[in-house]
Amino acid sequence: MTILEVTNITKQFGGLTANKDITMNVEEGKITAVIGPNGAGKTTFFNMITGVYQPTSGDIKLDGKSLVGLRPDEVAKKGISRTFQNIRLFGEMSVIENVLVGMHTHLKTNLIGILLNLPFTKKEEASAEKEAYRLLEYFELDHLLNEKANNLSYGAQRKLEIARALATKPKLILLDEPAAGMNPKETKELTEVIKRMGQEFNVTVLLIEHDMKLVMEISEHIVVLDHGEKIAEGNPEQIRTNPKVIEAYLGSAAVH
Amino acid sequence: MLQEILQSLPQVLVDGLTLGAVYAVVALGYTMVYGILQLINFAHGEVFMSGAFIGTAFFILIMGMGWASAIPQFILLIIVLILTASITGLVGVGLERVAYRPLRNAPRLIPLITAIGISFILQDVVRFIAELFNGNYIVTGPSLFSEQITLKASAISSIFYDARFKTSFLIVLGVAIILMVALDYFVNKTKWGTAMRAVALDRETASLMSINVNKVISITFFIGSALGGATGVLFAVQYGTIDPYIGFILGLKAFIAAVLGGIGNIRGAMVGGMLLGLMEMFASANLSLLTGGVFGAEYKDVFAFAILILVLIFKPEGLLGKPTAEKV
Amino acid sequence: MKGKLATFFSNKQLQVILYSLFIIVTSAALYFSQKSVVSFLLLLSSLLILHFMNLKNVTKWIVALGLLFILIPFASSGGPAFQSYMEVATMVGIYISMALGLNIVVGMAGLLDLGFVAFFAVGAYSYSIFATSQASNFMPFGNFPLGGESFWGFLIVGGIMAAIAGVLIGVPVLRVKGDYLAIVTLGFGEIIRIIFNNGDRPINITNGAMGIASVTPPEIFGMTLSFPNQFYFVTLLILMFTIFAVLRMEHSKLGRSWKAVRENEIAAQAMGIPLVKTKLLAFALGASFSGIMGVVFAAKQAFIDPTSFTLMESFTILVMVVLGGMGSVPGVILGAAVVTILNLQVLTELTNWLNQLSLSGVLTIPDALSPAKMQKFIFGALLVAFALYRPKGLIPAKNKIFDVKKLKDHRPDHLNNDTKENSIPIDKVQV
Repeated sequence: MTILEVTNITKQFGGLTANKDITMNVEEGKITAVIGPNGAGKTTFFNMITGVYQPTSGDIKLDGKSLVGLRPDEVAKKGISRTFQNIRLFGEMSVIENVLVGMHTHLKTNLIGILLNLPFTKKEEASAEKEAYRLLEYFELDHLLNEKANNLSYGAQRKLEIARALATKPKLILLDEPAAGMNPKETKELTEVIKRMGQEFNVTVLLIEHDMKLVMEISEHIVVLDHGEKIAEGNPEQIRTNPKVIEAYLGSAAVH
Repeated sequence: MLQEILQSLPQVLVDGLTLGAVYAVVALGYTMVYGILQLINFAHGEVFMSGAFIGTAFFILIMGMGWASAIPQFILLIIVLILTASITGLVGVGLERVAYRPLRNAPRLIPLITAIGISFILQDVVRFIAELFNGNYIVTGPSLFSEQITLKASAISSIFYDARFKTSFLIVLGVAIILMVALDYFVNKTKWGTAMRAVALDRETASLMSINVNKVISITFFIGSALGGATGVLFAVQYGTIDPYIGFILGLKAFIAAVLGGIGNIRGAMVGGMLLGLMEMFASANLSLLTGGVFGAEYKDVFAFAILILVLIFKPEGLLGKPTAEKV
Repeated sequence: MKGKLATFFSNKQLQVILYSLFIIVTSAALYFSQKSVVSFLLLLSSLLILHFMNLKNVTKWIVALGLLFILIPFASSGGPAFQSYMEVATMVGIYISMALGLNIVVGMAGLLDLGFVAFFAVGAYSYSIFATSQASNFMPFGNFPLGGESFWGFLIVGGIMAAIAGVLIGVPVLRVKGDYLAIVTLGFGEIIRIIFNNGDRPINITNGAMGIASVTPPEIFGMTLSFPNQFYFVTLLILMFTIFAVLRMEHSKLGRSWKAVRENEIAAQAMGIPLVKTKLLAFALGASFSGIMGVVFAAKQAFIDPTSFTLMESFTILVMVVLGGMGSVPGVILGAAVVTILNLQVLTELTNWLNQLSLSGVLTIPDALSPAKMQKFIFGALLVAFALYRPKGLIPAKNKIFDVKKLKDHRPDHLNNDTKENSIPIDKVQV
């Protein structure tokens, strides 16, 4: 079943066309990757899906409902969560608080409940804290729960971003270069986590990644962007042997 | 009603241009610093105020010397302008060193807070010195360029009244225009001006191109503060009486002018300054008339802030600025 | 030696004994002396010491309440300076409450508001206009001035009015990015003051620059409150409410959303936090604390005019927050207390003392340098020094420490496969 349906989206910044007429689908439960050389427009593509940018034309649908015109927080409420290429944690807050922020939309309490510390607020807060802790355990960050997010190692910060994104209980999670800056061991661990995550959290994964080994290993479907346009799409094997893709990455000399 | 507005128009234009010229040059200081550091140099209004005091002190000092009376007023003005601008320029450089440079990587709230602190310190130090030497912190400088000139606007058309001004009006306007043209030339045509623009665009890359970023920032502060100080002198000449608190609101207005023109854009600051000066004078002359006496001239500051808010909401890049999007 | 000293002071019993001794000595000194600012300040500082003591939170609160409600007013009542002590203490309470309000905006949500005093003014004017005959100038019905009992209702009205003002200002302002916000709020602060200053035309609502005099004093159970020691208790009660409210908010969904917006707007939005709504709420709630205290201030002074609500007041409150520690509730309380006492007592005392020295010819200090006039310089120096060397303030903000044991114990739905819709089905994996 298609969970995300992108049709003919184009994004122009002044005279510059960052994305041109991209159409693609993300199938529920399958890991989909968007790849392409630097500057191919991958992050712009993510930003349009998450409402940070509005597409100049075209439509984006989640479960058949259009996301165009929604603010990022509204998109998040519809069930799309994300991580960022340049890590954007809440640096001065503790690790567990970062995850708790991710649960924001699922906490139903209101001002009165908070001020009077009503039983239902207390209960909700306590169970949210426990849930957050379990997420940290899953990502092996539980021993760092009271640490400031800023003080974490790079790899741990990347993992925390994913944990925080999962805390919003998304249907679709967008990972923007999750392995960037990680060492081989961390990348390997991350690969395992992403593979398992989909099933265990009941979430569909869409990722941007430069590490081809990781992409080829975990993706079931790959979309290739170059100069803002989709140049190929298919399973890892098809992409590996697609001459257009090789040309985009290595230049035309490699093909001929 | 239209007739009354038209009658006062020549005077409004004259007053508006004077005030606008002052705003424009002070706005340059805000815009240059913002362009390079993305920082609102809150203390810039106080640098302007210090300039007014330093200039007045020089006038009093020089004119107190007997032989100095032989110097033509105009030469005297140039000497005082240069001396004052050099001093306030150095004040600006020192300010950046002490209060902003150590905080370049701090959260953005922090340098704003030091800027406010520096403002207070400058205000109080000037007050203290003025009070110590003068007995009162409100200082009246020597009267210069005070011949009255009448602009015979009524000769053009009978719907206008005549406008009256002092010669100092011409001086203020003339010097301000010279300063602005010189700065525009410096920024666009010289080596250091190019370096400044490069640092404003991308500090990291500029430093890779062997531009000494710290030096460029110091130069920016020097020029901005020197211009601010020089305008202070012009202000003192034009309006006569100064106190340590003139810089704050005037600085704010100049900042509004910079935003109006497009912050970071040097020509924008000039246009914004002139425009704001004219609009403010127009408002203070006609607000009461236009609103049937409900709002009087007291609301002219409200008017300036209203402009700021409208610009920020509807055209945050200003009249001459280019829109920017934050990179995610 | 140092180690021994450390163990000596970490001994709980000893701490308690020394602390009690300190309180007894200072309160006795305060009670029996004619006027001793030093012992008054020392007694107040016992609250600060309490904060750092190694005691349970509940114990600390009980001791603090005992000190504030019983011991401090009693010990001050010994000499003729009783009312002046209470006056200072009341002002301290008013400023702490305002600073806590501003702390929500600046410290937690990271929005630099330089026009905060406007909300204080809104609160003060809401009560003053209706508690004098001023309201009859524009109200078609009703009998003004309202009686002193209305004060209690106006505490809420003032808070709501200030919150509404906060939203009205916030709606246009919060679309503006970062640094501009400081300037725009400063502008709004001035605009509100100018409006109050000219609000005598075309309809006389605020009585303009003349101010509003003879504001009806509050009344409760037929008793009229007009002395500082009475207002002290009113202020204290409201302050306690403020502190509890702020602490609750800080560690709730709300406080976290403010901090998230402060730390990274884009990420906060991606987590489903609506930016404008969250900032507006910070503005409105911060403003309401200020508005409530505005009502108290107006009733206490019985006279208000626009000069009480200048830019300088806004900056003073900002200094309190920066000095104490942005985002830190105990820090801001300390900051507000220090700045208010500095303003009201230390600087005036110092000026008097220097004047005496000058009179007796010991040394001559030029009038320009008198400490009472140096307020701006002192504030400026404090702001710069703290921003440069201690940006987190006297008592830096701390994150809540979560107890691992509590998080691990009694896991709900641990062995339960039909998990609630809302919970993350991790346990399926772990089992």
